[in-house]
Amino acid sequence: MNANEMKNMKHDCPHQQECLQLLQSILDGEATQEQKDKFMGNHLEECMPCYQNYHLEVAIRDLLRKKCANQAPQDLVDSIKQKVIQNLAR
Amino acid sequence: MEEELIKNNYTDAQKQEIFDKEFMPNINAMYNFAYRLTLERDDAKDLLQDTYLKAFRFIDSFQKGTNAKAWLFRILKNSFINDYRKKSKEPSKVDYQEVEAYYNSEEVDRQITPDLRVESLGNMIGDEISNALNSLDVDFRTVIILCDLEGFKYEEMAKILDIPIGTVRSRLHRARNLLKEKLSEYAKSMGYKTA
Repeated sequence: MNANEMKNMKHDCPHQQECLQLLQSILDGEATQEQKDKFMGNHLEECMPCYQNYHLEVAIRDLLRKKCANQAPQDLVDSIKQKVIQNLAR
Repeated sequence: MEEELIKNNYTDAQKQEIFDKEFMPNINAMYNFAYRLTLERDDAKDLLQDTYLKAFRFIDSFQKGTNAKAWLFRILKNSFINDYRKKSKEPSKVDYQEVEAYYNSEEVDRQITPDLRVESLGNMIGDEISNALNSLDVDFRTVIILCDLEGFKYEEMAKILDIPIGTVRSRLHRARNLLKEKLSEYAKSMGYKTA
């Protein structure tokens, strides 16, 4: 999107919370194709707050996936496997 | 759990195969879930081990070809509620329904439209987001983990958590607003421009 297009966008969205819910459904893969087309195609291109919300939602998800995962300690994994084998042997 | 009505009679070899091929590949995601629920490494280890041994004990009620990850997550969540939440030293939580009713009011929705920008997120290269997530009430934390980290669908989440899909949707929306509010506090305290 270029600066000129941005300037022509609305700076207020009267339905911001509803839009945000819809936007989240879309990103969660829970929206219908029709909802998706309408929102992503029409609304997002003309509404600045929703356009910003979209990028924020995407960025937060990326950050969560990058920063909030943990690996199980290997000794714990081994111990669980071992216990199951013992269970089977009984 | 309706699946439990159907009992299989797996051989030892089949059990071992299900365990290795369906259960073990989820162990990192399960550990992370255990850690995010308990917020203590040692408790997370115990919870994970208990869950996996329980899953093995009840392996005959697992249907091959169904979603093992959702099945395991549900067992972990139930073990947490039944065995860990009770033992936990933290002061008892506010009744969740009260919290839910509060956060479902439109009033609150208008109040919490956090002023947070993508640029300030770019500066959060440390534990900010992890701490922000951990600071949320456990029920809000949980839906964010299930959806945003683990990619469960709303319907799967409803089954894991034993709540209606509508509640999954609204709880997620509140949880994300609260997370943004937290992140925006961090951004402010770090001195980044938020608006």
